[in-house]
Amino acid sequence: MADCVVVDRLLKRYGRRLAVRGVSFAIEEGEIVGLLGPNGSGKSTILRILGGYLPPIAGTVRIAGIDVTADSLAARNRIGYVAEDAPLYDGMRVGEFLYFMAAIKGVPGRAARGAVTAAAERLDLCKVLGMPIGKLSRGYRQRVAIAQALITDPPLLILDEPTNALDAYQVIAVRTLIRSLAGRRTVLVASHVLSEIERIASRVMILVDGRLLTSDAMREACHACQFRLRIGGSAPAILAGLRGIPGIVAAATELSEGAESYRIELAPTQPVAEVARAIVGQGFALSELTQIKPDLEGVFLDLTRRAASVEAEAA
Amino acid sequence: MRRFVALLLREERAIFTSPIAYVVLSVFLVIMGYTFTLTLFVSHSPTLVHLFFQIYVLFLLTVPIITMRLVAEERRLRTLELLLTAPVSEVAVVFAKYFASLSLVVLMLALSGAYAITLGILGQPDWGPIWSGYLGLVLLGAALIAIGLTTSSLVSNQIIAALLSLSLFLLLWIIDHFGWMLPDPFDAFVVNLSLLVHFTPFATGSIFLSDVGFFISVALLGLFLSVRALARR
Repeated sequence: MADCVVVDRLLKRYGRRLAVRGVSFAIEEGEIVGLLGPNGSGKSTILRILGGYLPPIAGTVRIAGIDVTADSLAARNRIGYVAEDAPLYDGMRVGEFLYFMAAIKGVPGRAARGAVTAAAERLDLCKVLGMPIGKLSRGYRQRVAIAQALITDPPLLILDEPTNALDAYQVIAVRTLIRSLAGRRTVLVASHVLSEIERIASRVMILVDGRLLTSDAMREACHACQFRLRIGGSAPAILAGLRGIPGIVAAATELSEGAESYRIELAPTQPVAEVARAIVGQGFALSELTQIKPDLEGVFLDLTRRAASVEAEAA
Repeated sequence: MRRFVALLLREERAIFTSPIAYVVLSVFLVIMGYTFTLTLFVSHSPTLVHLFFQIYVLFLLTVPIITMRLVAEERRLRTLELLLTAPVSEVAVVFAKYFASLSLVVLMLALSGAYAITLGILGQPDWGPIWSGYLGLVLLGAALIAIGLTTSSLVSNQIIAALLSLSLFLLLWIIDHFGWMLPDPFDAFVVNLSLLVHFTPFATGSIFLSDVGFFISVALLGLFLSVRALARR
């Protein structure tokens, strides 16, 4: 698939502080990508640059092949943008606001009615179309913000902390909505909540202190391909046997659900079926082989720790 | 154009649903009514010259209140981010805010037209100075709003925006007093920055292209700086 977003060596400075330091990444059409990072790591700045709101001091951003800095209006035509904390015009009514957003996004008069109705239905806003935005709950405000972003059905949706301050039901609804766009629309979601990003995105980028530590944390997590085994017999003999099998990089015992089991790490290109055959071939009674799911939290902590130590060494 | 009209209508709505507009209109009309009645009964002459100078002073005091929220509020509430991530240009945003504010000033002047009509009913005024006075006031309002819009674009605090505008207006009001103290050729330059120097001919029935050009130039400079300030973000 073609790239919908291409970011190349992006730099942004606030006064003397570098907020974004040479960030590069690409997002394919139809991907749902999460941008994870602690508060103040530069996520919102990157999204604002992508949204055409902030100019970078160096680097380029292309959306559907259009340079955001050189042809900002054309690029913004292809974006639906939801800013952090959903800033909206409190004095306007929901319906009136959606019509206004449709008009400034260039939806012709006749089509605006259909676009507003569709967005309102999608976000379950029909009941509150006549209400002033200032009187809405936090959850409804967020939904109105997402509705205005979807009103032109843009190819790229940029969401900054879309589930911030929402209750559990609202979080589920927003998550379901974002997931429903997978394959049809490209979505870039920024959040500092790891569990949220893990559930929404198909790929996670990690940003710390303005630097992109990885553009695919899930793959990084899978890189260390780990499995849990249950094998009956003497532990020292089993461990020695496992370590002797080609393709097993590391093996150790661990307690899982009250019983002793073994954790093995395979070389990245090693097929697991071959390893399973080798274990059984050695005469071990293998009763269970489970892949240990990629631990995003572990990758996040590991990468941030490594980045901090590199920084400390450089200083 | 459709996008600009949508922006303009939103700004008009924001201005005319705000209590500020009605407070400004009420204060303006009460003071104007008092001045008009008083001068009419004292001078018994069918002229609006005094009224025009009073409106001039009231504009210096009320325009900062009208313009202070225009961009500063959007910056503070972060709705500027909502607006400028949509496919609208900074020029369209600035012009929509400008013309919406100008419409309030024109409405104020239109309502004060009741005094001109009253003069027409009660006496036989010289309509020339009345038309030129209103033209001068529209041009003055256009220039002041552009300056107010610029200060509002530079800061995110409305009060500071209003105080900055007011300070600039007062400086441009009395700047000719300082100008006369300067040596040639600086005196002429500084005196020509005075709002009052350029407004007085309009109020007294004379229209000079140089005065028209001055107010239009100030308005265009203010609009240009506002667009730059918005693009700088």
